[in-house]
Parts: sequence; structure tokens; C-alpha cells
Amino acid sequence: MKVIKDALGYAAESLRTAGLKYYIYCFVLMIIAGVGLSGAVTALAEGHYHSNMSDMVPWGILISGLAFFIGLSAGATMVGLLIHGFGRDDYHPVGTRAILVGMMCIFAAMGCVMMDVGNPFRAMKIPFLLRNETSMFFISSSSYMGFMALLIAELVSTVYVTIGKAGKRGKKIAKVLGIIAVPYALIVVHSFTGTIFGVVKAREMWNTPLLPVHFVTSALASGFALVILVTIITSWVKKKDLVGKDTYNHMGIMLCFFLIATVFLDTFDYLILSYSGTAEGLETWHIFTGRYLPLFLINMVGLYAALIMTAFKKLRTARGLFWSSSITIIAIAAYRINLISIAQLVPLYHELGEIQYVPNMHEVAPVIGLTAALMLLFAILTKVLPLEDTGH
Amino acid sequence: MRKLTRREIVKLASIAGAGVLLPREVEAFGGMIDAIVNKMSEGIKGTVGKDIEIPPPLPGVKFGMVIDLGLCIGCRRCSYGCKLENNVPDTINPPYIMVFQTKYKPGQVMTESDLIDKHKAQGTLKYTRLRHDRMYMPVQCNHCLDAPCTKVCPTKATYKSADGIVMMDYNKCIGCRYCMAACPYGARRFNWSKPVIPAENINPLVPIRTDGVVEKCTFCVHRTRRGHTTKCVEVCPNKARIFGNLNDPDSAVSKKITSERNFRLKVGLNTNPNIYYLTDPKRKPMRWMEPLPLDMNIRGLKS
Ligand code: SF4
Ligand code: SF4
Repeated sequence: MKVIKDALGYAAESLRTAGLKYYIYCFVLMIIAGVGLSGAVTALAEGHYHSNMSDMVPWGILISGLAFFIGLSAGATMVGLLIHGFGRDDYHPVGTRAILVGMMCIFAAMGCVMMDVGNPFRAMKIPFLLRNETSMFFISSSSYMGFMALLIAELVSTVYVTIGKAGKRGKKIAKVLGIIAVPYALIVVHSFTGTIFGVVKAREMWNTPLLPVHFVTSALASGFALVILVTIITSWVKKKDLVGKDTYNHMGIMLCFFLIATVFLDTFDYLILSYSGTAEGLETWHIFTGRYLPLFLINMVGLYAALIMTAFKKLRTARGLFWSSSITIIAIAAYRINLISIAQLVPLYHELGEIQYVPNMHEVAPVIGLTAALMLLFAILTKVLPLEDTGH
Repeated sequence: MRKLTRREIVKLASIAGAGVLLPREVEAFGGMIDAIVNKMSEGIKGTVGKDIEIPPPLPGVKFGMVIDLGLCIGCRRCSYGCKLENNVPDTINPPYIMVFQTKYKPGQVMTESDLIDKHKAQGTLKYTRLRHDRMYMPVQCNHCLDAPCTKVCPTKATYKSADGIVMMDYNKCIGCRYCMAACPYGARRFNWSKPVIPAENINPLVPIRTDGVVEKCTFCVHRTRRGHTTKCVEVCPNKARIFGNLNDPDSAVSKKITSERNFRLKVGLNTNPNIYYLTDPKRKPMRWMEPLPLDMNIRGLKS
């Protein structure tokens, strides 16, 4: 009881003393979220008729959003592993924030699915009342719920440790949760998200056993980049570095390592695709280098640029990492859009001719709205929760 | 033996109690959630086909179809007949059956006289092709034996029935469209908006779907499980389509598929389609040489 009372008191005090800038920031996010999410309400009432998806391109930007946000959640688990598994206490000031970022990303991914499906209320019956164990969609969405529960448990235990209320046992629980979250996220969450697409033999571009591996590496790169970005932006806003130079350097090395794996897979994937002997493979390559060239370039040039930047020690500073992390996230967003869209643009029958899909505002606005809503929630939670750097 | 403390006894008793109670409690809780969620989704989308009875699969039957490309004239009566029979809304385009117009391989021009020679004797040719220098290719749901769509559906809203028909339970479909992404034949249609069907066209034997669910060819389950043939077979003027029981070696469909002219679409994917096509030995290396602009407005395609 006392803990809850103290927590509420702390939250009220934090909100009372928050400056005007904080409230303006929240207000702007609220407006963006409201406008964006109104599109989702329209879709619920009228269906996805206004979108540019079609029977030939049944999955659009919202499913790209699912793949992208799920990937971003990986960073949270990596920070937990570094703190608890490798004893890197210098990451401690970003521990709770990283978990919150992970939670927001999972919310965003699940939100994308809920806004995309034709009957979101019925979708709530998964996994208990409706289930098909051979469906990767079923397995993945169930695993997201497990991941969410794991992150909430990790958050609670970390907060307890932060406020000094966790005994020896509490600290052990926080440590165990921090460590088991990594294999769970990588093997279950990210691999199975990749498998959603990997098992689809109708689409040559998706149907590869390497896709789950690719999802893991790109999730680590984009997720860790997001944690770095949050650390840097928070430090700038607070005018106080959350972590030291050595930690930034270490963050850069980690990101570089994840980028090497992603760039390696991407490069050879595209190289092999360009030699494809099948009609579908040729058509895929044709779309990559034709209609989707800008996104293809953003993906590849971005990944190489970020890799080169993080390889230099001089650029592994807050400023350098701000750019390399941002570029990484944008490059991987482009990869997700490419992956989901292009596979469906290859016509299932030659006679269908050129299939078109460019997401319109009816699809993009809900994604922006959802992102704004979760940024708002993040801003509120980081304000009302006792974090490592706020002296509690 | 060590004596149990009071705390341990309470712990054990509660675990045992939960073990007995839990299944029933969980079931009741599940039922409650089900009722709430049903209410919420029905409020917006409605329930499909509450009062329409779908006959059960016939024992020992495996339905299949043969489409003779030598006889298809591209009239699209099958497509239109199917649309009317199955309450396919006007808001869905393309319909369940797409008929492609394709070119022959260069040098392989099929003439009217070829067709007449071939089919006049059989008394099958009543109509001639839309264009004599083209051939026509109807495609639809193949009711695959190893259907990718049923494996990927997270809710079992689409499932394989004992008679080979890949069915839809519209009241389980969450509209995730995974089945559409997974179908190699582009056979599934989504209700992107509230379905519109003119009142005079409604077939009372077939449920009307809601927006947000997927639908597709059912091999006219309301007819075929009552001993009739499918609508597309009935309306085809040249008898290019044959439907029947593949388990019966004497059925017309079983006899037709023994022809060396038979092939199935995308066999490399191991979907094991239940629709077979027949082509002419002379035209065996049949290729679709060029994409043709379609004369209808298909969402997502250049019209
Ligand atoms: S054709 Fe497509 S929809 Fe029909 S059974 Fe095969 S995979 Fe399923
Ligand atoms: S759209 Fe419906 S039928 Fe298709 S996979 Fe999803 S739930 Fe199953």
C-alpha cells in the first residue's frame, strides 16, 4: 500500500514540476495521435476501402509497420543482457528507458495488426478462443503477448531495484528476467515474425529459411539504434549525459557488429536475387531496380553508410551515433517496406500485368498517429516512473 | 516424516483446489470473453449466415474439376454465373473466376478450322472463341489438397473439408488476409467495404458476407453437396468444365484426368490442386507470351 501511495505521490510531483515545454510537446503529440488514429476508426467503421491495398496486394504499410516495430523492440532486451548478463553497469541509466522503448514498440506492432485486420474485436479471441497452431501468425501474435508480459515483469522488477525496495531476491528476479528476455525475443519473437513471411511459398522473395535470421539481425540493428537514439535525445533534453564517452563507444561497437551481420545478409541476398533464373526472381529484381529503386538505395546505401560511420572510433560519439542510428533506422524501415510490398507486386499470373501499390494517407496516417500516441505514452511514463538517472 | 506447517497445508490445498476448479473456471471465463467479444464485433460487422444451413460433406466423395482449354471460348459466363449464384458483391472485383486471354507461342496459331475439326464430331462446339488467334485460361480457387491458405489461417476460419472443398467460416475470419498472401493462385477476395448486392440477385441459399472478411469459391457447396453440379459448369456453353467425384473412377472427371493432356497450375509448389486443366498435345509448350491489359477495373492493377 505504502509503495503505491509513494509511487502516486512521486508521479503527481513529477507532473506538477514538469516544465511548459514538456506539456507543449505532449499536446502536439496528442493532436497528431488524434488525427492519425481517426483514420483507424474510419477503417473500422467503413472497412479498408479507402486504402490502396487490393486483392493482389493484401498486405500494405501496416504489415510493414508490424515487422518494423517488432524489430525495434529488440534493443530493450539487448540492454537488459548487457546490464545483467555482462555486468555493464554503465548501461544502468538507460535500463528502464530501454524496457519502456521495447514495450512501446510491441504496442505499436500489435496496434498495426489490430488496425490492419478486418475484424479487430474478433482478433482479440486469439490465442485462447481461436487458434490454429500451424499458423505463424497465430504463433507470433501469441509470442508478442508473452513478450509483453515479460517486459512488464522486467519493468516492475527494475523499478523496484531502482527505488531500493527489492531485496536480494528481487535483484535476482530482475537479473533472470533481463537475461531470459534475450533468447525469448530473438528465438521466439523475431524469428517467428520472419517465419510469418518465410513460409509463404507463393511469394518467392519471402520463401527462404534465411528470412528469420535476417529478421533477427535487422531487429538487433534497428532496435539497438533506437535505444542509442533515445539515450542521446534524452541527454540533450536533460542537458546531462545519461552515459559516458566509453559507453557511447561501446554502443557504437555493438551497433557496428549488428550492422555487419545485416549488411552481409542483405548484400548476398540481393546478389543472388540478381542472378535469379526464375521468372518471379527476375521480376522481383526488375521491381527492385526499377519502381522501388529509391527505397532500395535508401536501404543499401543507408546500411553501408551507418556501418562505415560506426566503424570509426571518432564517430562513435553522441553526435556521430545520432546520425548513424537515425540512418540505420531509416534504412531498415525501407527494407521492411520493400520486403512486404515487392513480394506482392510480382504478379501471381503473368496475365495480371503490372501490379501497383503505393500506400496512401489512409494507411500512413494511422501509423503516424499510433507512433505519436506511443511517444506520448513514453513521455508520460518516463516522467511518472522513477528512473535510474532521476536520483531515486 | 517432517510435519507440514500450516502455511504449507494451505498452499497445497489451494493448489489442489485450483486443479479441480480451474478447467471449469477457465471454460466459464472463456465463454464470458467469447460472449463479450461476439457482441462487440457483431455490433459493427454482424453475423454471417445464421439461418443458412450448409450441408455436411458427402461420405466417400472428393470433388474435383477439369477445365478443357481447348473448349474454353473466353465468354466469361462461368465468372458471371458464379457471381450471381454465390452472392458475390458488386464491391468485389475481380470475381472468383478470372478468365485470362493469352497469346499462343509464336508460330502456333490456332485457327477456327482446327477447333471445328476437333470438336464438331464430338458435338461439343456450340460457340466459337472471342478471338480466334487467342486462347483463354480461367483461374479460380483450386481447392488444393495441401492448401497453404488453411495452414496459415490463425483461426481455422478457412479449412479443408472431407470432400476436398476448402471452406470458409466467415464468423471466425478476423480479416488478417494471411490466406490471401499465401495463396499462390490469387483466388481469395477480401471485402474491403460493406458488400453491395442488388436485392433481386440475392440467392437465399448462400450467406451474405460482411466487410472485413475473406471469401472465395466454395465449389458451390450449397449445390454440390445436394447432388447438383457447380454453377460455372452448368452455364458453360461449350462444356469446357467438368465437375465430379475424383474418388469414383467411373465419373467423367476421373476419366478426363487420365488424359495425357492434363496439367495443374504451379505443381512445383506441392499444393496438389483439385482443378485439372487439359490442353492440346499440339499446343503442349503452351506459354503466356505477353501480359495483356484487362478490360475491367481491378483494384491494384493498371486498368
Ligand atoms: S487455390 Fe488458394 S484459396 Fe484455393 S485452396 Fe489453394 S491456396 Fe487455398
Ligand atoms: S483472413 Fe480470415 S480466412 Fe484468411 S487467414 Fe485471416 S482469419 Fe483466416
